[in-house]
Amino acid sequence: MEDPAYGVCTCRGKKRRGLLESLIFGLIGADTHSLEAETTSALPGLLQGVDPRLKLVSLLALIVAAVSTQRLTVLAALFLLAVGLAVVSQIRLARLVRQVWIGVFLFSGVIVLPALVLVPGETIAHLPLFGWPITLQGLRSASFVIGRAETAATLSLLLVLTTPWPHVLKALRSLGMPAAVVAILGMTHRYIFVLMQSALQMAEARQSRLMAPLDGPARRRLMLTMIGMLLSRTLTLGTEVHAAMIARGYRGEVRLLDEFRTRPSDWAFLLATLAVAATILGGRL
Amino acid sequence: MSGSAFDFRDVVYAYRSQRALDGVSFSIGLGERVALLGANGSGKSTLLRMMDALVFAVGGTALALGGPLTEAAFAEEATNFAFRQRVGLVFQNPDVQLFNPTVLDELAFGPLQLGWDTARVRRAIDAMLDRFGITHLRDRSPHRLSGGEKKRVAIASVLITEPDVLLLDEPTAALDPESRADLVAFLSHGLREGQTVITAIHDLDIIDHISDRSIVLDRGKVAADAPTLDVLHDIDLLRRTHLVFEHRHSHGIAAAALHGHLHAAPDGGATT
Repeated sequence: MEDPAYGVCTCRGKKRRGLLESLIFGLIGADTHSLEAETTSALPGLLQGVDPRLKLVSLLALIVAAVSTQRLTVLAALFLLAVGLAVVSQIRLARLVRQVWIGVFLFSGVIVLPALVLVPGETIAHLPLFGWPITLQGLRSASFVIGRAETAATLSLLLVLTTPWPHVLKALRSLGMPAAVVAILGMTHRYIFVLMQSALQMAEARQSRLMAPLDGPARRRLMLTMIGMLLSRTLTLGTEVHAAMIARGYRGEVRLLDEFRTRPSDWAFLLATLAVAATILGGRL
Repeated sequence: MSGSAFDFRDVVYAYRSQRALDGVSFSIGLGERVALLGANGSGKSTLLRMMDALVFAVGGTALALGGPLTEAAFAEEATNFAFRQRVGLVFQNPDVQLFNPTVLDELAFGPLQLGWDTARVRRAIDAMLDRFGITHLRDRSPHRLSGGEKKRVAIASVLITEPDVLLLDEPTAALDPESRADLVAFLSHGLREGQTVITAIHDLDIIDHISDRSIVLDRGKVAADAPTLDVLHDIDLLRRTHLVFEHRHSHGIAAAALHGHLHAAPDGGATT
């Protein structure tokens, strides 16, 4: 049975979200994630205190080392290093489990599952029900893929959670990314929230006037209308923002203020991570 | 300060076939504080955009700071650059104005575009953050700011380049009473002496605090150009230009009494 007030199916004790409800919850969720990331980037942790440019280089070096290593023990050590960095940066492990580890494990696990039985080698067990042989080499290959994905994703998330997004962009700019690309990414980040707010208000306004549940075609029509409205608002906003840029002297070339200052501890962190990466890469570990 | 900031003669501007400005004429001297009054759709915002060389007249003559306000003139890089150094516009919607990822970047944008060196930009940012009491917002994203904070940052981001002429489009729109009072106090006493300030507004409660002269627009035409207090006391003009309306309820007299400047209303039944 449908709840006419919200368009929510409460049949068989299960609550299914309607299209609009899902949209509203999705937008609120995205904004909440963003707010959480901003909060963690302001915590007094180890990574939060490192210069964003050097931090970016350091974490990239560790990611390269993780995807290049030929030893599972080294990969495990890098993963533990990432976990350690999370702990000293006040990132809760539960958050890493929820946001990275489960998702990456399931995604990469599905991809590498066939390798367990398809890679030839020494049989160590048999797949239940099917009886297919699981090989040591297959298990090793699957472990490498999952381990590399987990480590790289953890290090990437650490960068995002410990660095305000504008600083990530400026760090990229310092490393040679064109100013125009950085400006576009910055404005995208800025206006995605304005448009998200706009979409949320549209969805709520429609939801508040919904007297009865909508059928499939009506829901799709509603969604298309909202997308069209949002696109129209985006174009208007884009024109206005361009006028605001012109009004403040924009002449086609973006100039950015570099506000970073490195300290000895930043360089020490960079050297330490580069040493780890160089040891792994150079020693072919 | 002598000289003319703007000199408009029979200026016409049209959106397709709709005339937004229809034979507008006035002259504003440097250092004047002027309110552009008018109901929604009267042409205030269009006029402000024209004063900031974002749109150009299709008829008549418009001069700004002694130079022609035409598309051809502003195609010249030097003209555009010199003009942007001297004239700043605060947009009505702060979300339009604040397009950078942080408050710091927002303040830095104008000076950097105008070619200031980074040391000067940093000094100006620190001074502006302090002046507006927004130092704590320095690294915040604009989308996390309140309406009042956004407005303060928007004004700071324009004033940082120290323009001779400040244009404000509905600065009090959508502000809560406290933010509005703060803004009015700033516009009354916080601006540089001799700075030309032109404010498009339909909030009659505050115009006598922020302007000495008012130009009233009605459907794209100048309906009046007079000292602000004279305009405020001309109830017929305010009614004709839809800036006040007849109160339809019995508490109309009480509401009017709350607004000191409307005490002169002949029937006491007009309010803003």
